[in-house]
Amino acid sequence: MEDGNVNDMRLTERDVDTRNFKMQARDVDVYYGTNHAIKSVNVDILDKTVTAFIGPSGCGKSTFLRCLNRMNDTIDIARIEGEITLDGEDIYDAKVDPVQLRAKVGMVFQKPNPFPKSIYDNVAYGPRIHGLSTSKAELDEIVEKSLRRAAIWDEVKDRLDAAGTGLSGGQQQRLCIARAVATNPEVLLMDEPCSALDPIATAQVEELIDELRTRFSVVIVTHSMQQAARVSQKTAFFHLGELVEYDETSKIFTNPEDPRTESYITGRIG
Amino acid sequence: MSDATAHATPTPKRSLYTEDERTRRRNKAETRFRAYGIAAVSVGLLALVMLLISILGNGLSSFRQTYVTFPVTLAAERLDPAGNRDPAEMARVTTFGYLPILAQSYIDHVENLGIDHDIGPRDMAAMLSEEAPAQLRSMVLANPDLVGQTLTMEMLVGGRIDGFFKGRVTMESAALDRNVSPEQLLLAQALVDQGAMETRFNWSFITSPDASDQRPEAAGLGIAIIGSFYMMLVVLALALPIGVAASIYLEEFAPKNRLTDLIEVNISNLAAVPSIVFGILGLAIFINFAGLPQSAPIVGGLVLTLMTLPTIIIATRASLRAVPPSIREAALGVGASKMQSVFHHVLPLAAPGILTGTIIGLAQALGETAPLLLIGMVAFVREFPAAPPEGFFDPASALPVQVYNWTQRSDPAFVERASGAIIVLLVFLIFMNAVAVLLRRRFERRW
Repeated sequence: MEDGNVNDMRLTERDVDTRNFKMQARDVDVYYGTNHAIKSVNVDILDKTVTAFIGPSGCGKSTFLRCLNRMNDTIDIARIEGEITLDGEDIYDAKVDPVQLRAKVGMVFQKPNPFPKSIYDNVAYGPRIHGLSTSKAELDEIVEKSLRRAAIWDEVKDRLDAAGTGLSGGQQQRLCIARAVATNPEVLLMDEPCSALDPIATAQVEELIDELRTRFSVVIVTHSMQQAARVSQKTAFFHLGELVEYDETSKIFTNPEDPRTESYITGRIG
Repeated sequence: MSDATAHATPTPKRSLYTEDERTRRRNKAETRFRAYGIAAVSVGLLALVMLLISILGNGLSSFRQTYVTFPVTLAAERLDPAGNRDPAEMARVTTFGYLPILAQSYIDHVENLGIDHDIGPRDMAAMLSEEAPAQLRSMVLANPDLVGQTLTMEMLVGGRIDGFFKGRVTMESAALDRNVSPEQLLLAQALVDQGAMETRFNWSFITSPDASDQRPEAAGLGIAIIGSFYMMLVVLALALPIGVAASIYLEEFAPKNRLTDLIEVNISNLAAVPSIVFGILGLAIFINFAGLPQSAPIVGGLVLTLMTLPTIIIATRASLRAVPPSIREAALGVGASKMQSVFHHVLPLAAPGILTGTIIGLAQALGETAPLLLIGMVAFVREFPAAPPEGFFDPASALPVQVYNWTQRSDPAFVERASGAIIVLLVFLIFMNAVAVLLRRRFERRW
C-alpha cells in the first residue's frame, strides 16, 4: 500500500542541495490564551530548499508558519516562547521591527487576497513602500520580473491596469505570489497556497514553487501529501501541536520513523 | 449509513400533488408573515404621503408672494429736509416718515387707474406691508440720488391681502377680521384685474432675514440658511477628522483592555443621550466657561459636533470592521507597517461607509433643534452674519429653530412660512442624502 502511494510521488528528484540553515526554531511554544497550540518545536529550515509542513487540521502547522514572520503579532491573545532565528538573528528580539522582518520573510496566504487595486499596483506596492526602485522604469521592470517569475506575465501583460480582484482564482493566487516575490524576500512562507485552486492552477503553482527554490527558501503548509511529496525536499509532520518528525521528504514518505507519521501518510489518522 | 433505514414505521407514500398538513401550516405562516410585512410597509408609506401632502399643501404657497406695483414719488422736502443728500442726515427720517409718501403714491395710483372704492386713507395704507416703507427707506439711504425722482416700485402687500390670493382669507373671514375688510379685498381683486397687483415666485423667502410678528409676508429664511450652513461647515471640519481618527485608533491600534471597553460603551451611550443635554453642556462649557458669544454658529457647530461624533464613530468603526481581514494580512505580509496597511488599504475600502455615516450624522445635526435653543440660536436676528471666519462668531439662526420660531407666532400667515421652511429643510436633507449615495457609488465603482 505504501509503495503504491510512493510511486506517483516522483521521489527520486528530491535532493537537498545545501546544508546552510536559513531559519532555526528552538523550543518554540505558542499559546492562544490558555490553549497550548505549539509545543516545544525545533526546526531548521535550509536555504534554497522547499520545506513542507504537513499534518491534520488544527495541528498547529499554520500557527507555526505564522510565527516565522511574526504574523501572530496581530493576534492579541497569542503568546510565543522560545527562539526563532533568521540568519542567526533572533526575530523576536525587542530590537526587531516586524515590518523589516516581513520584507525578508514574505508570505502567501491560503485564500488569494489581492488588493482591490490594479494588477500593476498589487505587485508594485511592496517595492514602493520599501523604496526598492528609484524610477518608474525600474519599478516597471520589477513588476514585470515578478509577474514573469510567478508565471502569470503572459496572461496579464496587456491588462496591467485591470483590477487584481477580477482575475480567476488561480491567477489571483499567482498574482499574490508575484506580489510576495516582488520585495525580494529571502524566505517565502506559503499557507496552503493551492487549497482554493483547481488542479491545473495547482500544477502551475507547484511548478512555480520549484522554480522559486533557486532563489528563496520556501516553506509551504499543505494538506495534500502528494503536493508535499511533489514539491518539497524536507518535510515536517505536525500532530497535536508537536513536531513529530522532520526529515528528508523521501525519508518521511518511504520510511518514517514515528508510527504516527506512518499512520498519517497512509491515511489512518487526520 | 444505518441511520437512514432505521425508521421503525415506514412513512406512507404521499403524492406530490397534495399538500400535507405540515406544509400547509408552513405555507400559511409564510403568507401571514408576508401580509404583516406589506401592512407595515403600507403604514409607513401612508404616513410619509400624509406628511408630504400636509407640508407641501401648507408650505408651497410660501414660495409665492403678492406684490403691488405703482409709481412712488420720493419727495425731497420730506426725505432730505437739509437738502444735502447726506445719508447720515437722511437717516434721521425714520420708517414712519416714509409711510405717508408710500401711502399717498399708492392712493394716487388707485385713483389714476379709475377704481372706485370708499376705503379711508388709513385702511388704504394698511393694505401695504409694514415692511414696504422699511424697504423703501433702506433703498433710498443706499442711493440718496433717488430722492426727488419718481420710481416705479414693486411693494409687498399685507399678509391678509396676500392670504386672500392663496385662499387663506375669504370674504366671510375678512368680515370678522379686524385687520382686513372685504372692501380691501375687492380693491385688491380689482388691482389684480388691472395688472397692478400680482402673485409671483418669491425669492425673498429664501434670501431675506426673518421679520417681526406683524410682517409675516416679509419673513424669509436667509439668515437661517446661512446659520445652518456655517454650523454644518463647523461640524464637518471637526466631527469628520476627530471621529475618523478616533475610530481608526480604537479599531486598529488600541489594545483590547478594560479601558478601551469602557470607552466603547460610553461612545455607544453618548449616541443615545438626548440632544438637549448636549445643549446644556454647550451652554455651560462653550458659552459660560469658554466665553464664546451666544447665538453664534461656532457654538452651535461645536454642540452639534459633540452630538454627531458618536454617530460618525459608530458608522466608521462598523465599516472598518467590515473590511476583510485578509486585506490587512496581505498588506502586513508584504511588509507594510500597521499604519500603511490602514491608510493604503483599509481606509479606502471603508470610505463609502464612513462617508455615509458622516452624511447621516450631518443630516441629523442639520435637523436638530433642542440644543440650539439652549445656546441662544432662537434669538430674533435681522443682521446677516459676515463671511467666514468672522461670520462663525456673528449671531445667526438655524433652519429647524426658524421652523420652531414661526410655529410659535400668532399670525396665521406664519403657518405657511413654517411649512415652507420645513420644505427647504427637507430639500437640503434630500440633497445631502443624494450626495451621500452618489459619492458612495463613485467610491465603490473603483473595482
